[in-house]
Amino acid sequence: MNYQRPTELHEKANAEAMAAFAEHMSQFKGVCSVLRDIESNLSPIGNDALKAALLSPGRVIQTDDGTEWQHDVDLSKITSICHRRTAAGFEFAVVESLPLKSGEMRSVLNSDHNVREVLRKFMRDQRQVLNLWKDDVKAQVREHLDEKYPHQDMGIVVESFEIKMARSISETRAVAQNQSRGIRI
Amino acid sequence: METIPKTEAAPATPAPERLAYSIQEAADMLGLNYFSVYRLIQRNKLKACRALRGKLLVPRTELLKLLATE
Repeated sequence: MNYQRPTELHEKANAEAMAAFAEHMSQFKGVCSVLRDIESNLSPIGNDALKAALLSPGRVIQTDDGTEWQHDVDLSKITSICHRRTAAGFEFAVVESLPLKSGEMRSVLNSDHNVREVLRKFMRDQRQVLNLWKDDVKAQVREHLDEKYPHQDMGIVVESFEIKMARSISETRAVAQNQSRGIRI
Repeated sequence: METIPKTEAAPATPAPERLAYSIQEAADMLGLNYFSVYRLIQRNKLKACRALRGKLLVPRTELLKLLATE
């Protein structure tokens, strides 16, 4: 942790870097907010998916490997929980439909016979992606500041980006922890 | 007043093709948001490499491969 007091130059560099990486920060905040909503509603989403699988056939989604799934519940604009019947009962999956410029790419992100396990694994994976994103932005900010302010120590500015993003990631987990405290076994 | 004649613009030369692109550029080329690109990298559907300071770069060949397969 850097306990250095920020100088005027640091403040200026921080404002400038915030403007340069505004799109990253805005998209990051948006994704964290969507994930926070999913995390705080894991049980109802799981129940809805289970109910949908039992009650309605749901529209068919074919993934790129040729497997057919039936849609249950949307998680976001491009991810949904789907199911298919197997000899061992329902198999649930998070299916992603990526709208690439060249066409839609549909793939299974993860699957399990237990819908709640599918959701938990999905959230774990998403947090890993957020960490990858955070580390990349940190590296980009460092490179940007090294070019703009050569021979100046801008570690404190880089760290402030990292802290903001790490806090957003941990807030999604805090929701989950608070919720699990309320579960009685 | 004498006006300085405009010099003819040099013919636009196509920018040389780059070997690798940042996440922002890759997202733009694929038509995706940043998170989707990071998700593709995390799932190894899109290979990326790291530049000297740790920044992720997506090789052009990887982007073309992904666009061609769809």
